[in-house]
Amino acid sequence: MIIRRVLVANRGEIAVRVLRTCRRLGIETVLAVAGADADSVPARLADHTIRIVPGGGAAGLAAAYLNVEAVVDAAAAAGADAIHPGYGFLAENPRFARACEAAGIVFIGPGAEVLEAAGDKLAARRHAAAAGVPVLPGGLVTAEAGEVAGRIGYPVLVKAAGGGGGRGLRVVGDPGQLSGAVTMASAEADAAFGDPRVYLERYVSRARHVEVQLLGDGENVIHLGDRECSVQRRYQKVVEEAPAPRLGETLRVSMRAAAVALGLHLKYQGLGTVEFVVDTEREAFYFLEVNARIQVEHPVTEMVTGLDLVAEQIAIAEGRGLRRSQASVSFGGHAIECRINAEDPADGFRPSPGTVAGAAFPAGPGIRVDTHVQAGSAVPPQYDSLLAKLVVSGADRPEALRRLRSALARCRIDGVATNLAMHRALAADEEFAAGGVDTSYLTRWVQREPPSVRAEIHG
Amino acid sequence: MAEVQLVDVSLRDGNQSLWGATGLRTAHILQIAPVMNRVGFRALDFLSSTAMGVAVRTHREDPWQRIRLTRAAMPDTPLQFIGTGFRFISWERAHPDVMRLVYERLVAAGISRFVVLDPTHDMDAVLATARIIRRAGGTEIIAALTYTISAVHGDAFYAGIAARVAASPHIDRAYVKDPAGLLTPERARTLIPAVRARLGGKPLELHAHCTIGLSPLVYLAAPNLGVQVLQVGCGALADGSSLPDAERTVANLRELGHTVTVDDRLLAQVASYFDQLAAAESLPAGQPQPYDAAFTKHQLAGGVMTTLRRQLAELGLEAKFGAVMDEVSRVRAELGYPIMVTPFPQMVMGQALSNIIGGSGGRKGSPPRAGRASSARYEVVPDQVIRYVLGSFGKPTAPVEPWVLDRILDRPRARELAAEPPPLSPAELRQRLPRGISDEELLLRFGMPSGEVDAMLAAGPAPEHYSPQLQPVLRLLRELGSRPPVRRLVVDKPGFRLELGRA
Repeated sequence: MIIRRVLVANRGEIAVRVLRTCRRLGIETVLAVAGADADSVPARLADHTIRIVPGGGAAGLAAAYLNVEAVVDAAAAAGADAIHPGYGFLAENPRFARACEAAGIVFIGPGAEVLEAAGDKLAARRHAAAAGVPVLPGGLVTAEAGEVAGRIGYPVLVKAAGGGGGRGLRVVGDPGQLSGAVTMASAEADAAFGDPRVYLERYVSRARHVEVQLLGDGENVIHLGDRECSVQRRYQKVVEEAPAPRLGETLRVSMRAAAVALGLHLKYQGLGTVEFVVDTEREAFYFLEVNARIQVEHPVTEMVTGLDLVAEQIAIAEGRGLRRSQASVSFGGHAIECRINAEDPADGFRPSPGTVAGAAFPAGPGIRVDTHVQAGSAVPPQYDSLLAKLVVSGADRPEALRRLRSALARCRIDGVATNLAMHRALAADEEFAAGGVDTSYLTRWVQREPPSVRAEIHG
Repeated sequence: MAEVQLVDVSLRDGNQSLWGATGLRTAHILQIAPVMNRVGFRALDFLSSTAMGVAVRTHREDPWQRIRLTRAAMPDTPLQFIGTGFRFISWERAHPDVMRLVYERLVAAGISRFVVLDPTHDMDAVLATARIIRRAGGTEIIAALTYTISAVHGDAFYAGIAARVAASPHIDRAYVKDPAGLLTPERARTLIPAVRARLGGKPLELHAHCTIGLSPLVYLAAPNLGVQVLQVGCGALADGSSLPDAERTVANLRELGHTVTVDDRLLAQVASYFDQLAAAESLPAGQPQPYDAAFTKHQLAGGVMTTLRRQLAELGLEAKFGAVMDEVSRVRAELGYPIMVTPFPQMVMGQALSNIIGGSGGRKGSPPRAGRASSARYEVVPDQVIRYVLGSFGKPTAPVEPWVLDRILDRPRARELAAEPPPLSPAELRQRLPRGISDEELLLRFGMPSGEVDAMLAAGPAPEHYSPQLQPVLRLLRELGSRPPVRRLVVDKPGFRLELGRA
């Protein structure tokens, strides 16, 4: 089949990103909008917009993009033959994928079964183990949490079975804290995902977060390389790059192969990511989770492979099958992405909603900016605080870093507090420049920065 | 009623017929490629070795990279290369191993469909080339049945070629190629069934230029005669001396009850893109052509005639135009009716020109059979013609008039050319060219002067983005940049005002 009209069920930079590819492919676009998003940049870029009914009030606004029936009805009313969910909101909701199917609308993403397998973290762990992918010792918390933890060895990580994104996560250093942590994590998980189940895993203290991009058509699965996502704060990625720097070739090859094995096991159809935790001390890697959607950090992969991942998603959804072999995917150069957020590092990274007074982004060879922000753009408090992704590439990592520093220096956003100054300081940091930092790096870095830099960050 | 598929020729033949092969750059193609990929075309006529040469010479762009980038931007629609099988960019005959390398590199870069066009219908040569292409990995190989009007090109002639195509395991289909647009609906009604009857069930395509306005009508008759695929152009790259307009063809076929499965909205988008590009780049858009009875005799494409008029004007001999055109018909018959498809129009024209204005002045228009009486005819013979008579371009369709043959070969230059060493093999070429260059670069340096290839390499990668709408703004910026500092700039039009000034 050929997709002629797509409903984009998202907002912000990813809506712009999806609209761009649709336009390039000659696909007509309808953007689902709620509230003030009707005046946003993506709303102006789309061929048409359609309002989705909010549930009422400020909370209702965010709920609009999460409302399965409202979005499917909007797509049907707009005459769309497919829905692109972007990331977040309904992107990994199996009930949404099923509702699309029932309405005769193509869901641009993996099938409901894969979403279920990936969404339930315990199920995903089982699939990973079945596919021969290393998983950390761990298990579901029942009445015997202490026994499980004892078997794994402290410290342990308490994780929510129903979802990711850092919610419901707790590190427990000794047995005395376990029961309290489990209770807290379970309550948090229940609130966030409607699923109170939590499980334990061995906590890797010196860990890197490396992930592998997959593309599959249900029968064949290839990888599109790896990404380093270790620069994180409270499990939120801040800087990503491709390929992962200073990763042993054996480790890299094994991780890519493991990801493909899991993709084949799941009969993966569409674009997805297998996240791994790399134990830097043991030179070992373990399965973390599967993200069955396009990810925020996909541009770094696009820049080193030359592929348009949204176009690949659409091709798979149209049933065109994998159009390239593993051997025909070539990797060139190095790419780095900075997430520029409306948040105030001086105030504990608190979100900083408001109105953008002015925005200037750099342009030039090897520079890409994915954003929905320009002078006058509203930054509402209900949604995540991502304003823009600054992505640079170079022939190698040093060149990419040079471009990053120069591009960041030419980046300006006024009217809301941003983490731009932090990115500038990070890009100048020697440890980051050396490559291969672990997930504790950013927190340590924020604490150890000398007052002058902190003033710059916070100013 | 029939199911009809379309092959679009805008990017190759459209560009060649209407814009002298120089109109389209890599960025122009990449911008629309993802849309063309989704229209539902069976394939795209994409490249020839001439177009590859133009990319290097005119645009300083790497044609191999153009293939790779286009393939990446349109992974679902096969890209076609058209060639004779015996030359690459330059007019010299290439070593068979050089041609083998050409096809291997083309397949590796992303070409999967190949047209083999032998201008003399030398089917032994066509079959040999098809075998080489198949071994190189070509998945769809098409033989050209090049249509013309002459004493030897009857229906039976084409049916005989169809039978050779049917018997070859390396040729998948055939197409009737009418480069001059001479085919009438009446002739199509006998020609196409005669070809189909001997084609052994292999699919048949039709490719007819609009030069004298006949082909849009032939296309309407073709599906009922057994043609499965019609080759068309889009927007500004259709009509004129190009092929029938895709949108018009689709509408007419559907009106007659045929099924054409293409996405109309995307087709319109492609057409509109080429229209906008033509306007932005000041390139002429193809127009529907009036019928021209005289054309059926000389069969010279518009571009060749324009060149002739210019050359005559430069010599102050405009009055000779009619005489040269008559001589073209005569020379063509004497040379065994070469089909007026590259490189033969240039060759026949060159000979006719020297027969009329060259030599010692005996320029009386002599009738074909009394030709030998004229001392000036064939007194000066271009190398191209000598090579043709020597068989460098294949076996002439009909024998060359014996006295013409003698006259051409009985000269020192003919003996020199006959004694020319055979073409160099890739290994021999490699010894003469810079060390360590890729096969792709080797082939470019084989086909073109090295200075051209050096200039292309020095220019760096070709731009990959293009927007017709942006061109006026870019032109304005370029102009502003070339002037002394502008202090204040105002663009004022209804509903829009832009004012720029120095702080």
